[in-house]
Amino acid sequence: MFKFLGRKGNDKLEFGLFTIPVILCIAVAFYIPFFMTIRYSLMEWNGISSSPKFIGLENYKQIFMGDANFAQASWFTVKYAVLYIILVNVIAILLALLLNMKLKSTTWLRAAFFIPYILSLVIVGFIWKFIFMQGFESLGKSTGWGIFELSWLGDPNLAFISILLVSIWQSVGFYLVIYIAGLQSVPDDLKEAAVVDGAGPIRRFFNITLPLLAPSITISVFMALTNSIKVFDVILSLTAGGPGGTTYSVAYDIYRDTFQNNLFGYGTAKSIVLFVVVLIITVIQLTLFKRREVEA
Amino acid sequence: MKTRKTFGRIIVEIVMVLASLLFLYPLFLAINNSFKSFGEVMRDVIALPKQIMFENYSYVWKFIDYPRLFTNNLVITVLGLAGIVFVSSIAAYKLARTKSRMSILIYMLCIMPMLIPFQSIMLSVVQLANQLNLSESTVGLGLLYWGFGAPLAVFIYHGFVKGIPKEIDESATIDGASGFRLYFAVIFPLLKSVTTTIIIIDVMWIWNDFLLPLLLVNGSPSTKTLTLAAYTFVGQYTSDWQYAMTAMVMAVLPSIVAFMFLQKYIVKGVVAGAVKG
Repeated sequence: MFKFLGRKGNDKLEFGLFTIPVILCIAVAFYIPFFMTIRYSLMEWNGISSSPKFIGLENYKQIFMGDANFAQASWFTVKYAVLYIILVNVIAILLALLLNMKLKSTTWLRAAFFIPYILSLVIVGFIWKFIFMQGFESLGKSTGWGIFELSWLGDPNLAFISILLVSIWQSVGFYLVIYIAGLQSVPDDLKEAAVVDGAGPIRRFFNITLPLLAPSITISVFMALTNSIKVFDVILSLTAGGPGGTTYSVAYDIYRDTFQNNLFGYGTAKSIVLFVVVLIITVIQLTLFKRREVEA
Repeated sequence: MKTRKTFGRIIVEIVMVLASLLFLYPLFLAINNSFKSFGEVMRDVIALPKQIMFENYSYVWKFIDYPRLFTNNLVITVLGLAGIVFVSSIAAYKLARTKSRMSILIYMLCIMPMLIPFQSIMLSVVQLANQLNLSESTVGLGLLYWGFGAPLAVFIYHGFVKGIPKEIDESATIDGASGFRLYFAVIFPLLKSVTTTIIIIDVMWIWNDFLLPLLLVNGSPSTKTLTLAAYTFVGQYTSDWQYAMTAMVMAVLPSIVAFMFLQKYIVKGVVAGAVKG
């Protein structure tokens, strides 16, 4: 490019030209905000006053010592994440097994179960809110089933189930296609050999299919965990935290403190706590994943 | 034995098709009620509309200024994607080809942000965007996506470039190509399959994204996105379900149409993205 720089100099220049743009973009999106967040979390600041007050670790102390909202939101998120991860994966595996039977309608079925995944979660939440509030009333009248007359968004326990149900409805198609891809990589001759050996369908599933699905399960559990721990959009549109503030997740609680209560310092301190938890979980998962790969 | 097996298969087939229809029933109800009058929605949600109310659509279309919203979404998504693909692919290529400590360090810096949940930094992102004059503008939002999309894109591209033999670069260098010329003439075309994967997962993400647009472009009707406008619209018309459902249908229609035509690629891209990511 430039003769006077020599070969080495040119290589360095090119390395810079290729990599500096991405470094700048990522710095603006993540690193600068991240350090700003750490700084804010040590301050008392309502976002309006021009002089935030430095208060050290006071915010963190308050989060762990006396914040009933945060404790409740954490418990909600843990409960939600555990149930979501288990249910969405079990349902997706079962559906994948059925769809893998080479049915005539497989293409349609896969598309049908996948469609909600391409829709925005906020909109999905609103559509379901309509179903729960208006649709169930009509369905109750025409079927006479009591299940439709329950207050699906008005009772705290049922509202939790509703959020879980809608989340699973929206995303099960995503996990389904991952498992279908996984099942297709299970060699047929292995299954045929097991049939010849006299293994029934249930033993075939647990001894052959399930172990060979392990990579797909790892990916899916990982994705389900990272998504469920950050659950926000669907709650916002479906219950808006109600009834009585029982359905706030951690992410929603952070949003409430930061943007609705204008507790800039306190809200960011909570968000740092969320970051640390996500970091720990990811590190644990990656080490488990690595160990399993070595064994295999 | 044989006939019993095919019989069982037909039962499974029927049950599954019925299950899939039940699964999509909520979407059907949304569409169904978007064509009804207010009174009809309140009387019976399940029944088909007695008289099809296209007026709902023309009303919502004008009220939320649909063409404007659609253009906003398009500008944000296309600008965001173009930047993510360009900035990430050149960096990933260089990083995969250069063996040095500096290169490893930069690669780690590029992919580590995947561990940072957006909600952890959202307040600071808004503050920074204000300072950089990127807020309340569709172009500004599109530019910000470059950084938010880069970590995953760099990760996927990096893994792929490692599989392309170095001899290809070398023979192109002998032919006199170098720098960006070599990259765009020789390397970039070889990345077509991963680029498709990245485009698919990022379009689905940016087109439907909610929280970042809510924080950055919610101030004026001229910068809103489709999802955002549907969200505010429902907030104003909480009891007018027929309009709310019309707005929902109009907001999701582009995604559904795109899915009908590109189903095969979308599913493939999503699987590839998940397996690599």
